This record gives sequence, structure tokens and C-alpha cells, in this order.
Amino acid sequence: MRFRNLCFLALALLVAYVAIMTVAELPPYGRPDNPVHNQVAERYIDGALTETGALNMVTAIVLDYRAYDTMFETIVLFTATLAVVITLKTGKGGGREQ
Amino acid sequence: MNELWPRLLVNYPYLAAAILFVIGTFTVLTHPNLFKKLLGINIMESAIFLTFVASGNIRGGVAPIRATANAEAVYINPLPSALMLTGIVVSVSVTAFALALIVRLYRVYGTTDLRRIVVRRKEVTGDDGFAQG
Repeated sequence: MRFRNLCFLALALLVAYVAIMTVAELPPYGRPDNPVHNQVAERYIDGALTETGALNMVTAIVLDYRAYDTMFETIVLFTATLAVVITLKTGKGGGREQ
Repeated sequence: MNELWPRLLVNYPYLAAAILFVIGTFTVLTHPNLFKKLLGINIMESAIFLTFVASGNIRGGVAPIRATANAEAVYINPLPSALMLTGIVVSVSVTAFALALIVRLYRVYGTTDLRRIVVRRKEVTGDDGFAQG
């Protein structure tokens, strides 16, 4: 069990090394000229009010530009609820405890 | 390899996310308790959310809401925040289903400790859960 934990520690250190080297190569945090702020974000910021009428741009994206995404998200939530009910209420060991 | 620390400290939200991700990985790998494994998965998810939301931020920018800001304000990027709303829903769904599975395992085996579950499974069925077929 100790050997296993040492292996896991080595694995975690490897993951940490990779993640920290990636962080060092990312563009500096909080600059307005980062590649994240490209024409897509500009379009959402400039056009959200006139195209959707929503004051909050996150609301405009979630409920208007990406409405299908939000709709299928509700299906994900519904499926998860269904899976929880099926798991807890059916089969051997399901239902009420003896 | 030169000037590693300044580049890391400029990106301190990403660094915090990386540390959180490693903590989550280590928790998932080392704790035999299923609830703690689930906690580790949730910590890893939080690290991903932090990475995305931090990538959309601008220093001195305001929240992307028209009503609260003056005309020349710089808005932060609303797209990562909107995408992470989807991610949070998936995270909640996965957590709920995993909790249901843990409750079911507890009803059958009387424990949430993975090592004891393997031992009891071997006692009852003679199968350690790893054999083929």
C-alpha cells in the first residue's frame, strides 16, 4: 500500500510538472490583447443588445446564441435525474431499506 | 527555463487552478473512501472552471452587463462564463449520479470504503471484480 501511494505521488508530481510548465507558457493574465479576446467576443459584446435585446451578455449567449446548447443541457439534467431515480428505486437492494 | 517564476506569478489564477487540479488527482488516486474520491473529482472540475473563467478576464474590465457600466468601459469576455454554465450543469449531473451509485453500494455492502467493498465482494461471490467474464 505504501509503494502504491509512492507511485501515485510520482504520478501527481508528473501531472503538476506538466500543468505548471503549461501555465508558464500561457499568455499573461488579464491583458486586453490576449488571443482569447478575438472577433467572437467582440461580436458578442457589440451585437448582444441589438440582436437579442438582453442587457446581460452571458444571458444573451446562453439563452439566444446558444439556445440549442441550453435546450440539450436540460436533457442532460433530465437524464441524470432519471438515472438517479432508477439507481435508487429499482433492483436488488433498491427501494426502502429492510 | 529562464524567468520561470515571473511568468508563473503573472498567471497566478492558472497556477492556482493547476495546484487545485493536482490536489484533486491525488485525492482521487489515494483515498479509498468513495465520497472523498467524488470530492476529488469535484475539485478537479473547479480547477477547470477557474481556468476558463480566468482566461476571459481583463484587468480593469467590468462585468458584461449593459445596465451597470458607462459607455467607454471595457467589458470582459462573456463567452467563457457562458460555456462554464454548461460545464457546471454537467458537473452537477455527474455528482448526483455518482452519489446515487455510492448510496446503492452502501445499501448492498454496508460501507463506502472501496477496499472493504472489494473484500466483501470476494467473500460473497468468490470474485474479486477484476476477473474476466
